[in-house]
Amino acid sequence: MKLDGYITSILEGSLLSIQVALGALVVAVILGLAGASAKLSQRKPLVWLGSVYSTIIRGIPDLVLMLLIFYGGQIGLNILLESVGYTDYVEINPFAAGLITIGFIYGAYMTETFRGAILAIPKGQAEAGLAYGMSRSRVFFTIVLPQMVRLALPGFTNNWLVLIKSTALVSILGLPDMTYLAKQAGAAARGEVPNAPLLFMAFAALIYLVFTTVSLIALRQLEKRYTVGVKRLAA
Amino acid sequence: MLTIKKSLALGAIALGLSFGASAKDWKEIRVAIDPTYKPFTYKTDDGKPTGFDVDVAQALCDELKAKCVFVEQLWDSMIPGLQARKYDAIISSMSITADREKVVAFTGKYYNTPSQVVLNKNIKTDGSPASLKGKKLGVLKGSTQEKYAKGELAKAGVEILSYDAQDQVYLDIKAGRLDGTVADVIEVKGGFLDTADGKDYVFVGKTLGSYVNYFGKGAGIAVRKQDKELRTALDNGIKTLRKNGQWQKISDKYFAGTDIWGD
Repeated sequence: MKLDGYITSILEGSLLSIQVALGALVVAVILGLAGASAKLSQRKPLVWLGSVYSTIIRGIPDLVLMLLIFYGGQIGLNILLESVGYTDYVEINPFAAGLITIGFIYGAYMTETFRGAILAIPKGQAEAGLAYGMSRSRVFFTIVLPQMVRLALPGFTNNWLVLIKSTALVSILGLPDMTYLAKQAGAAARGEVPNAPLLFMAFAALIYLVFTTVSLIALRQLEKRYTVGVKRLAA
Repeated sequence: MLTIKKSLALGAIALGLSFGASAKDWKEIRVAIDPTYKPFTYKTDDGKPTGFDVDVAQALCDELKAKCVFVEQLWDSMIPGLQARKYDAIISSMSITADREKVVAFTGKYYNTPSQVVLNKNIKTDGSPASLKGKKLGVLKGSTQEKYAKGELAKAGVEILSYDAQDQVYLDIKAGRLDGTVADVIEVKGGFLDTADGKDYVFVGKTLGSYVNYFGKGAGIAVRKQDKELRTALDNGIKTLRKNGQWQKISDKYFAGTDIWGD
C-alpha cells in the first residue's frame, strides 16, 4: 500500500535523527565537561575561553549557527583548497557536520549545567581529598563526579530533550531527517491520501514523543540510582 | 625562476593535496532537487525521486553520458548549497530571474508556465490588485510569486504571507487562515485545485506571464558561474531533447494536453 512506503521512509529518517542526536550528545557532554572545568579553573585564559564559548553559542539561534558553520565552513574550505590549486571537491560530510554543530551548540548549555552542579558541591570536600594526598583527577572522578551527576541530571534532561528536537534542523544541511521526510511524504501524497501533510507530520510528532518518553524513563532510573544516599523527601 | 612553481607544487604535495585537472569531465552530475513540489519534483512511496524535473534531469544526464546523482535540498538553502559545491546543478523548477543570475549561471528555460492568483470562489473580484485589497494570500518563501506579490499586490493592500513550502500554503488555506495563493498554474492545478481541498477555489484574473521582471524567463538549470562547460553542455542537451522528441514525451507523461514550454 502507498501509505506503507512513506511510513517506512519516515521511520528510516527517525533512525538518522536519533543517530545525530546521540552523536551530538556525546560531543555536547565532552564539550560541556571541558567548558565547565575551564570556567571553574584558576587560569584566566581558560576562564575567558569558556565564557566566550558559552556566551556566544547560547546567544545565537541554532539555525543561524548551523548555516554559518556548514555553508560558511564549506565555502571557506573550498576557497582555501582552490587557493592552493586543488580544484576537486572535498565535501564536509553533512552527517558529521550536523552532529558536530548540534553537539557544539548543546555543549554550551551543558557547560552551564555542569558548572552549576559542580559549584553546588561544597568546596571543602575536594579540599579534603587534596589534603589526603589524592590527585586532582582522582578527586574529580571519585568525589565530585558521582555527586555532580545527581545535581546535573535535571538540567541535563532538559538539554537532551531540546537537543533531540533540534535535530529537525539538520534538513537545512541536506540531511533527510524525520521532519523533512515527513514533509516530503505529505507533499507527495497530497490529494491521494486525505489530509496527508497533517497525517505524516502527526506521525513524526508521535515518534519524537516516543524518543523523548523513553529518554525520560531511562533518565529517571538514572536519577534514582544517583540519589541513593540522599533521601528524597516524601511528596 | 622555476622555483616558485616547483615550491608551490612541493608545498601542495606536502599538504597531501594534488592539482586537479583544469577541465573537469562531467562523468557524474550531482543534481539538487527539493522533492516537495508535485508534479515537478516529489518522491514516490518507495522513496525514489520522480516528477517532470527529475525526468528531464535524467534524460539530460543520459544525453551527456553522465550519471545523475540526486541530492535532496531544502528550497531555502538551494543556492548556498550550490555555491558550497554540495552539488553541481539545480534542476528543481527554479525560475531564471535577474536576481538569481547575479550569483549563479542559468541554462535556457526547460519549461515556462505562468503563475496566477487563486482565490476562494465566493470572493467577488476581477483579479486586479485593487480588487484583492484586504485579502490574505500565501506564497512560497523565496519564490518568484513572492516577489510579485510583495512588489505588486502588497502595495494595493493585499496581505502577503510567506511559507517554507508550497504545500504549507495549501494547509493554511484549508485551515481558513488564507483566502488564496499566487502559484504556478500547473503546480496549483495538480497540487490543489484538482484535489478535494481545492474544490472551492478558482483562478482569478489573467496569468502573470507578462511580469517578466518578477517571474523571469521560465525554469532553467542553475550551475555555478565558473562551470561554463557544464552550462553549455546542459543547454545543448535541452535543445537536443526538444529536437528528438524526448522532452515532449516527458511533458506528455505529466501534462498530457497542456503546453508547458511557453512562448
